[in-house]
Formats: sequence, structure tokens, C-alpha cells
Amino acid sequence: MRIILLLLSIALVSVAEAAEYAVVVARNSPIEALDSERLRDIFLRRRSFEGNIPLVPVNLLGEEAVRTQFESQVLQMNRGQINQYWVTSHFQGIKPPATQASLQSIKTFIERVDGAIGYLPISMVDDGLKVLHEF
Amino acid sequence: MKLVEFRVVGACMALCLLHHPVIAQDSDYEIGLGKSVNDWLTLGGYFSTEYEKSSDVDQLQLDDVAVMAYGEFSNRFSYLLELESVNAYVANLERDTTSSNFPPTIERLYIDYKRSDHLSVRVGKQITPVGYWNQQPINVLRETSSNPRFSKEMVPKFLTGIDVHGFAPLGEDLIYHVYLQNSRDMDEANINIKPVSHYGFALAKQYGNGWRIGGSAGQFKEVMGSTSSTRTFTRYWQANGRFDNERYSLIAEGIINSESAVGAGRESSKAVYVQGEYRYRPRHSLISRVEYFHDTGVTVPERIGILGYSFRPVFPVSLKFEYQWHQESSYNRFVSSFSVLF
Repeated sequence: MRIILLLLSIALVSVAEAAEYAVVVARNSPIEALDSERLRDIFLRRRSFEGNIPLVPVNLLGEEAVRTQFESQVLQMNRGQINQYWVTSHFQGIKPPATQASLQSIKTFIERVDGAIGYLPISMVDDGLKVLHEF
Repeated sequence: MKLVEFRVVGACMALCLLHHPVIAQDSDYEIGLGKSVNDWLTLGGYFSTEYEKSSDVDQLQLDDVAVMAYGEFSNRFSYLLELESVNAYVANLERDTTSSNFPPTIERLYIDYKRSDHLSVRVGKQITPVGYWNQQPINVLRETSSNPRFSKEMVPKFLTGIDVHGFAPLGEDLIYHVYLQNSRDMDEANINIKPVSHYGFALAKQYGNGWRIGGSAGQFKEVMGSTSSTRTFTRYWQANGRFDNERYSLIAEGIINSESAVGAGRESSKAVYVQGEYRYRPRHSLISRVEYFHDTGVTVPERIGILGYSFRPVFPVSLKFEYQWHQESSYNRFVSSFSVLF
């Protein structure tokens, strides 16, 4: 009985920790994987390339769960810190990444624009996309 | 007349505040982020007003009014232009006089070329990439209305030349700058030091736990007067450190200068400041700064202590108050400011 309970609790923890979202690029992109620090630099526009490939990060408009989770887990910033960062960047002539109004339009943007990189629920990832990082 | 002019300034401020997204109808615009027309044109700007009161000064001024335009021509080329009026309007309340200086000067004008994350080139008039304070020189982005002497007298704030920079290939999160100027400034009207040549390098390292450290070294040459007979050469060595988290910020910078003039001896000066900020509630913070400045040409070193309060209803709108204690008490003063980045 104890063993069954132990296995059940392990299974429950695994389910609770399973990633819901993924950072993705187009399937034909030569980029294979990126860690959180590199993603943070890309979405804060401190870095613009992976190798010689120019990157085009794209954000979801508004404050949907996928974006807030991306900001807290990958960027490790709250919305106030992010706003402060982009106001300071505005003085330096740097704009925030482009935005798209829906998850479907982010998916289409990534599939069609060279170098585009964005985040989606794992359930939306299909053969046209490649997962670089899960969160 | 003075009252009418300040009403105009006040109305301008109110208009800016009305563009806050909560209030404004135009959802495309967000205060502090500029108006993006398209990829190659974003418009923005800032202004700051300051009130200063000491034993011999009672002054209200619109000290900075600036407009900016920047954009990207491609994913490798971008530009920035900033025009600024310094001391645009000054009212001396003690003498009951006013003055104005609206003609703008070129604060920044440069083109960026990004070869890769390891190699970018900036050409034109730009902020010298030294330290923290120098790179956030406008009132609204600072924690205090005043600047430490460190930032005003030791290194040219601006560089008209070339800066090669990027992430160092051998160190993740290590950023380098190598910069060079070999001409006069593009617009010498409002700069702190007017070099005819300037070169140096800077390094900055960021750690994941909120710490950043850096340093720079360089040399610049100034020519006094219209002939080149009086030249001074100044070398500098600078170090900085910074820690930030949600509630606290701590910044420290120090610099040593060594200046030699043709036909004269060598003089040195050193300056250091440490500043702490405590954000005790959202939008409210307390700031304290201590400064030390010593020029060997002056017998008594200067020590300054500052205690300030900052209120930001939104980050790009800043209302600040501070009191400064100087070693020479006649310099003690109260300063407050209101500034907006739009």
C-alpha cells in the first residue's frame, strides 16, 4: 500500500511540474536549443543574433497566462520591472519586441518570419515548429 | 508674465500626463515608450523642471526639454537623434529675473551597425560608455535630481567618434567597449568637457543575482582657447559596482584622474560616491548618497551628503525632493524636480 502511495505521489508531482509552455522557432531554423539566460537576453533585446542568424522575438499582447509565466520564469522579472526596463531602453533607442494579438497569430508569425522566436502552449506545437526551451 | 509662462509649462505637463494609457484614449501610445510610427521611426522625448533653494539661490527652471527620434533600417542598422534645449527657461525668484534658451543643440546623433552580438559599431555623437550615472544622464531616469560631482567634472559625458562594443567572445555576460574620438565635439554648446581627442575602453560584467561590476580607463586631450598652445592631457581610471533587487538598489562609482598641462605640473583628482535606494512602498522610495571629491589643486576635499525622496506615479513620471549637506555649509541646498519621459 505504501509503495502504491509513493508511486502515486511521484506521478502527481511529475504532472504538477510538467511544463505547459514552450519557446519555439520555425522547424527549418538551424537553432536547436537555448537556455533561459540566452532567452532572457534575446527578449530583453540585449542580444540580437544566434550565431549569424538575426533573431526576431515576438511577445503576446496583454497579460495572458503564457506571457506572465514567461516573464516570471524565463525573464525572472515582474511587470513593473519590465516596464522600467523598457522605459530606460526607450532613452537608449531600443524598442520592446513586436507583439501579436493572439497565440494563433504568434504561431503564424514564427512560421512565416525568418528568425522569429516566441512562446506558445505546448498543446499548440506541431510539425511546423521546433521547441527550444520548455517552462 | 512669469506666472503666465509657468502656466504654459504646467499645461504641457498636464498634456503629457493625460497620455498615460489609463487616461489616454489612444491605446497605441504609452508614456515612457514613445510613439512608434513604424520600424524606422519612433518619436519621444523628455523634460524636467527643477526648483533650487539655498542661502543665495532661489530658482525655478525648465532645465531640459528634448525630443528624440530613432529606428531600425534593418536588423543590422539603426540610428538615434536627440535634440535638447538646456536651461530652456530660468526664473530667478530672488532677483525677480527670467532668462530663456530655447535653441536646441545636438545631444546625440549616431548610427549603429550590428555585425553580431560580439561586434557592434556606433558612429557619431553618443554618450561616453563609462559607468552607470553617465549612461543615464537625464533627470527622469535618475533617483535624485542632482548629479554627483563625479559625473560632471571627471570624464567627457559625450563622445563624437566611434565605439566598438559587444559581448566579449570569451566571457558570457561580459560586455566590452573600445571608443575613440579624434575631433572636436559635434555640438559643443552643452557639454561638460570639450576634448579634441579621447580614447579608452570599458568592461561591464553582469551576474545573475542582481550584481553588476565594471570599470574603464582612458585619456583625453583638451585645448584651451583658440590656439593650440595650451593643452592638457587627462588620464582616468574608473570602477563601478551595482546591486538591484525589487526593494533595494546600491550603486557605487569611483574615479581617479591625472591631468598634465604643457609647461605645468601634474595634478590629480579623485571622486567617489555611494548611493542607496530603498523602495519602501510601490512608487515611493528613499534615497541616500554620500560623495567625496578631492582635487589636489584645492586644499580642502569636498564631502557631500544627500537625503532624498522619490515618487513615481508611473515609472516615466518622477517627482523628487532632496536636501544636500555640504562640508561648506553655505552650499547646503534643497532641490526638487518634476520630470517626464514621453
